[in-house]
Amino acid sequence: MNDFSELENQLRKLRPAQPSPNLVIRIECALAEEPSTPTAAVLPRKRRFHFNWLSLGLGLTAATALVLFASVRFQSPAKKTPALASTPLTPAISTNSSAQFVPAGLTQVVYHTRDEGLHFTNSNQPVRRLRSQTRETLQWHNPKTGATLRISYPREEVSLIPVSGQ
Amino acid sequence: MENVATDENWKTCFCQLAPGLVLFARQWTRSAADAEDIVQEAFVRFWRKQHDIANLGLLYATVRSIALDFLRRDSRRARRESTIASESEQAIQPAFEIEDDSQRALVAALDGLPREQREVLVMKIWNELTFAEIASALEISQNTAASRYRYALAALKKTLAST
Repeated sequence: MNDFSELENQLRKLRPAQPSPNLVIRIECALAEEPSTPTAAVLPRKRRFHFNWLSLGLGLTAATALVLFASVRFQSPAKKTPALASTPLTPAISTNSSAQFVPAGLTQVVYHTRDEGLHFTNSNQPVRRLRSQTRETLQWHNPKTGATLRISYPREEVSLIPVSGQ
Repeated sequence: MENVATDENWKTCFCQLAPGLVLFARQWTRSAADAEDIVQEAFVRFWRKQHDIANLGLLYATVRSIALDFLRRDSRRARRESTIASESEQAIQPAFEIEDDSQRALVAALDGLPREQREVLVMKIWNELTFAEIASALEISQNTAASRYRYALAALKKTLAST
């Protein structure tokens, strides 16, 4: 081992980078929180916020785009009717076949709900925080062609429920 | 049951161990932030069960287990990070506070060690674990832990001599 004593000293002189000061605060917060499943042997991994927001943002963007697309399609036949009368067949087929999407349904499936315990607002009001994860599905149907258009996106909702002081 | 949030003991224990723990976790991550996430999750899980820092082997085993789990779950991200890292070494945040060129060479030699040797070295040098504690954390024999440590030092010495 003496062969390596000098090398060991050199290695000990290397100082690991200091962790960020926030780490202790984060651990303090995590320890202050009650575990969500006290009887479980393994704690569930916390989902990363940026992932949730990203998927939520993409989902909402796609939904908005589709709704705008659908609304433009719904409005277009009324404006084009005179034109259709003067120009028969070809435009009429394309317009009629695709412009008849009608809203067919909206489903919301709550697949995970977690009670995150008691929290205090800025005004020291005690609230219970509930986090629920939902998948929403919007659906349109074209009765003429039988085509359906469906969009599904995840959604995370945090509810703060005031707790009475009794 | 005692409220862990009011117990200040963990802060004393953690502040002593934090740099070494984060360095240990850094072996499986490219960024310090990910390593800190791993250490946070491991320490919270460990402290809730143990309330005592005596069982260091278990603490490091928890960090290692969560780090490997992190690698598996985020393999796509890890691949992306490793691609980026290979393209630009500057993107990797340093795991040590480097003061001169000799230390830079030492860190480069450390990075070249096989993982099983490097983790023993990190636990022994910067976390001051005994071979018994290292063996417990890695679920290997003490002899194997000691051998890996010697192999690591020999490899480092050889690399440094050739540069």
